[in-house]
Amino acid sequence: MISRRYGVLAALGTLALVITACSPSASEGESDTSNGGGETTLEVWGWRQEDVAAYEKIFQLYEDANPGVTVEYVPYKAEEYDTILRTGLSDQNGPDVAQLRSYGLLQPVVASDSVVPLDDEVDALADFPTEVLDGARGVADGQIYGVPFALQTLHVIYNQAIFDEHGLTPPETWEDMIAAFTTLNDADVVPLAATVTDTWMLPIQHEIFGASTYGGSDYLEQMLAGAATFTDRPWVDSLTTWNETSPFWGSQYKGTSYTDAQALFTSGQAAMFPGGVWELAVFAQANPDLELGIFNVPPPPQAAVSETLVPGYLDGSFGVSANSPNQEAALDLVRWMATPEFGQAFTDELRQISAVPGVEPSDELLAQALDAYLANPSPYVTYAYFSSGEPTAWDLASEGLSNFVLGQWSAEEAADHIQRGVDQWFEPTQ
Amino acid sequence: MVRADAVETRPRLRRRSAGRLNRTPAGWIAAFCLPALALYGLLIIVPLGTAFYYGFFWWEGTQRAGFAGLGNYQEILTRYPLGTEIPTALWHNVLFFVGTMAIQNTVGLGLAVLLYRNPRFKRFFQTVFSLPYLISPLIVGYIWSLLLSPNFGPINYVLRSVGLESWALPWLGEPTTALPVLVLVNAWQWIGGPMLIFLAALGGIPQELEEAAALDGASPARAFWSVRFPLLMPAVGVITVLTFIGCFNIFDLVYALGGSDGGPGGAMDVLGLLYYRTAFEGGTNAIGESSALAMLIFVVIFGFAIVLERLLRRREVTQ
Repeated sequence: MISRRYGVLAALGTLALVITACSPSASEGESDTSNGGGETTLEVWGWRQEDVAAYEKIFQLYEDANPGVTVEYVPYKAEEYDTILRTGLSDQNGPDVAQLRSYGLLQPVVASDSVVPLDDEVDALADFPTEVLDGARGVADGQIYGVPFALQTLHVIYNQAIFDEHGLTPPETWEDMIAAFTTLNDADVVPLAATVTDTWMLPIQHEIFGASTYGGSDYLEQMLAGAATFTDRPWVDSLTTWNETSPFWGSQYKGTSYTDAQALFTSGQAAMFPGGVWELAVFAQANPDLELGIFNVPPPPQAAVSETLVPGYLDGSFGVSANSPNQEAALDLVRWMATPEFGQAFTDELRQISAVPGVEPSDELLAQALDAYLANPSPYVTYAYFSSGEPTAWDLASEGLSNFVLGQWSAEEAADHIQRGVDQWFEPTQ
Repeated sequence: MVRADAVETRPRLRRRSAGRLNRTPAGWIAAFCLPALALYGLLIIVPLGTAFYYGFFWWEGTQRAGFAGLGNYQEILTRYPLGTEIPTALWHNVLFFVGTMAIQNTVGLGLAVLLYRNPRFKRFFQTVFSLPYLISPLIVGYIWSLLLSPNFGPINYVLRSVGLESWALPWLGEPTTALPVLVLVNAWQWIGGPMLIFLAALGGIPQELEEAAALDGASPARAFWSVRFPLLMPAVGVITVLTFIGCFNIFDLVYALGGSDGGPGGAMDVLGLLYYRTAFEGGTNAIGESSALAMLIFVVIFGFAIVLERLLRRREVTQ
């Protein structure tokens, strides 16, 4: 009888333990964002773990000007960030301000009403160019949900020492560029450290080498109006143009990953790296002795435009959680993020191009990248403008372009893959 | 009558007293079962039920929008390219299973027989072959992707330095070699499993049977195939089911080797990766679609597993 009683007690005890262990800790978020005694702590979530120290310095400026407000940058792993953010934004335990992805990747948090529309809250947004704001816009209602923070531009980054050694200068024409590639190839230097296995880099490389072939913004306008498609000649030809550079990607390019390509370039085995301007900081950190330069790919003979186009896009924006208990303070913070003071600190500390209008990067290469982009901007078509439905053109392009460079598909088949996927949801504007 | 009573009573008494002595109070049984049951319920039953429920709704981010019925199922089965990727990924799982059975389990059996026949260093080799077990598949995947890197990997470097230049391929970058490499790397990690099970099973077979076969004039090979192997069938059954479960649940190793896209041209794309992409790289309705896909995968694997189990049971009985 006694043992039975103890048995029942043991069972109840175990059950109680399990229930206690599984119950959520409600006080977790309360201590993070305390509002007592005039002290406010704002949590800013982001996907850049490497930027914590820089953000501390940037937010110190805000804290100095706003006594009683503490701003904490809380980073998560970039690959897990979107999932964590979607959950975090659903209640008060999440961020007050969050880095939001741009274009199509922004739409899930907009659709769930997790972030506050900023059109009427942040007056300075009116000064941002429309193309930049497009990256922070909700597709369904056209409202702006974040203050844009960084522009990413796409170029060919080169190793100045290798160029000097082989008597090369940034090419002025397509023929010059191919001749430079050939010179390096003959000297057993990999001309281009191109990423192939990490397929998200393929649409980036395609824009760098193929934008002028299809025509950049002019062609995009036709596509959005339904007058042109991915399967039309200019866009298909742009794939072929890009693939014409594949003999210069190194002998084992099919197995070259993103990190392999970065290592090939920073170790001096490859002379050039086609990629985003964010690589400059990464390369400088990996090999501080590298002297870097950037150039933009000149149009090939059959190109639709004669200018040297520079592709670029909005990297992300800072939005305010609809569930933040400190919404007013959070709105004040994002208002500050639209000012030149924040923009300048951002570009100086993080070595990135600030999206705030009028901010000049202090870094020479960034300034060169921004000037070139502002002179002849070109859209990142698959990522920015055909990514608000499922499947996104970006995913489709990553798959299609991978099969194309691996020789599995023709350029036409790769283009058809994208068009067929996009046709399921895309509605032309006319 | 008396005798009959005595006969009837004795076992009853014995049963009762034995029952008294051995009976464990239900509370204790519950106390020991509850943690496992709670965990099982929390980690298996609740997510399964939740996924089943969520799959019937449209989602807008994390907000449930409206009742979808079978809409999500229709969406994932008909939308291009997801609709075509599901059978392709399933086919890759099947190929992966067949390749693993063919390589990992046959080599595992071979190693077990070798160690059984040559007991010297048996412990040492048992440990060596089982060591990769201790490493997380994610780490194994990253290590092998470094080893196989066409630019910096030591494998291609060695192949080149011994004159096998044409063999130095971008192993994980070629659609034709990626899946076989996955099978081999997976076998490298798990070969200790079937080896240990076969070794234990071999130890359980009486020596006399093979000796009798030898006396009857059977060659060692004939004695193995006709005497030992049929007696190993229960072990084969266990290993087949475990391999099946492992191969159809594979995610971490293939993610580390080929990323979430499933390697070159999707050559290593499997159901686990497809689910990952739908759930974590999907759009606004990711929760609805991935829940439907999870249920579909569950039904397919469950169906396969039942058929496989039935076949193996039948074979065990007939042996």
